[in-house]
Amino acid sequence: MENQINSAINAIKLLRSSVSNVFETTLSAQNNSIQDESSFLLELQDQLSTVDVNFKSIESTINALNVPSGPFTLGNTAVLNHEADPDRQGVYTDLVNSYNWYEKTHLYSALANTMLSQNSLKRSFYTSSNKRRRPTVPVNPAQLVDHMINSINTNNMTIKVYRPFGTPTSAFLHVNLSRVMKAAIILRGLVIELVTVKGFNEPLDSVDDHWIESRYAVFRKIQDHAHCAMLHFYSPTFAELATRSFITWLASYSNIFSEPCKRCQRFLLNNLPPTYRDFRSLEPLHEECRH
Amino acid sequence: MGVTILTPYPLQNKSGAEAIEELSKRLLALGATQAGQFLVDGDIFEHSFKKIKIHVMHNSEYPASVFSILDNGQKQIPLITDLIFDLLMLKVNPIYSSKKMIKIESKGPRFELGDFLVKLGSVTMSQNQNFKGILIEVDYRPCLVPAFCWDLIKEFLQGLLGQQAPTAIPGYFTNTLPSNNPNQHYHRFNDTYQPIDTVQQYLEHFNNYRKQSQAPTI
Ligand SMILES: [Zn+2]
Repeated sequence: MENQINSAINAIKLLRSSVSNVFETTLSAQNNSIQDESSFLLELQDQLSTVDVNFKSIESTINALNVPSGPFTLGNTAVLNHEADPDRQGVYTDLVNSYNWYEKTHLYSALANTMLSQNSLKRSFYTSSNKRRRPTVPVNPAQLVDHMINSINTNNMTIKVYRPFGTPTSAFLHVNLSRVMKAAIILRGLVIELVTVKGFNEPLDSVDDHWIESRYAVFRKIQDHAHCAMLHFYSPTFAELATRSFITWLASYSNIFSEPCKRCQRFLLNNLPPTYRDFRSLEPLHEECRH
Repeated sequence: MGVTILTPYPLQNKSGAEAIEELSKRLLALGATQAGQFLVDGDIFEHSFKKIKIHVMHNSEYPASVFSILDNGQKQIPLITDLIFDLLMLKVNPIYSSKKMIKIESKGPRFELGDFLVKLGSVTMSQNQNFKGILIEVDYRPCLVPAFCWDLIKEFLQGLLGQQAPTAIPGYFTNTLPSNNPNQHYHRFNDTYQPIDTVQQYLEHFNNYRKQSQAPTI
């Protein structure tokens, strides 16, 4: 039904354009009297026949349309017709837009669901024998974390460990990357749970700040990439290596403003510097230049 | 606030209003949104007999502050205070008096484009608002060290201004400054950027405009 209406509307558009072509030709012929009459007549005949063809196609598409059997069931939206308040008369368009938006969300989430079920990104290590399925946490994680942080030696990067909840299993790492950016890494055992990326002049001291996005687009973008990297490096069996690789990767952002994209050799694309770092080579790239 | 570069824009036979309109259109076409207006002004108070000047400046980006720079000819000492400083300057009026003829201001539209903040200022001087030129301010808010992002801002300016974009680092950042160690050349390029740096860049350009307008009388 919807397709038929669409093709009918298209046919009407075609007819209108062919008719206006006819008028244009006659008008221009009137203006240029030099043009000889026979070629003008031929052209006109040609265009009139197109009009004829288009008209016939409209007739056939309209004939193919079925008369709606009864009034459309629009549910409560039908009541909007009776709305007298001019402020609310625009509601219908908004309603249609939000309906479309909702439909798209539905479609995309279905697609995402199939994608995710194909790529296993489960973040916890389950053993089949353990019926209660508890994720494994090392025996003495606090010591392991401290040892790992002390052994990381990266230029222009300082890491501080906090344990705001007093538990040995969860640690907050506050990373300062020269005078460029700040990041907080929340660990459970040695596994990364959450990464927050902020500008050097943005607050990251209170616990709540870890859930507030940076006010700068560039750091929000880096945070997105950091979340991808966190999943990329994730390994339940080699947790320390994974976290260590992640921190090395994060340290490569120290040149975020000073190094152009390796592919396009430019600094800015869509007003953002190269916010992506290759997971292996650590080369700076724009998000759009990755492939 | 991040690193801010202030650059004069050559008019090339256009009027100031035309140039501002053209640049505004260009910014909007690049996807910028206009975010209000801005105003930076500068006044000079001169000591009645010593050779000391106090530049008193305001920046609408910091509406609660007064920026003042004490200049004794050899050294410039910046000071950031609350608005009440303006009233204090009135109190010391007999000793330090304002020269209204060389009060200068830059004002115009303010645009946001991604993390960039672009301000198109028309510079006018004295009470009869003599038009002096156009100053473009580009603020790259996420970055705090000029040395880190100068090339990035330069590229941005080239995209916006084309041929008229500056190619060299503004002198404000590269001039060597007095430091405690005479063997060490010190300049602001590697410093963490502060709001006073923006004001001091305006002061340099304002002083240039003042010199230009004084030149014919000498
Ligand atoms: Zn690129």
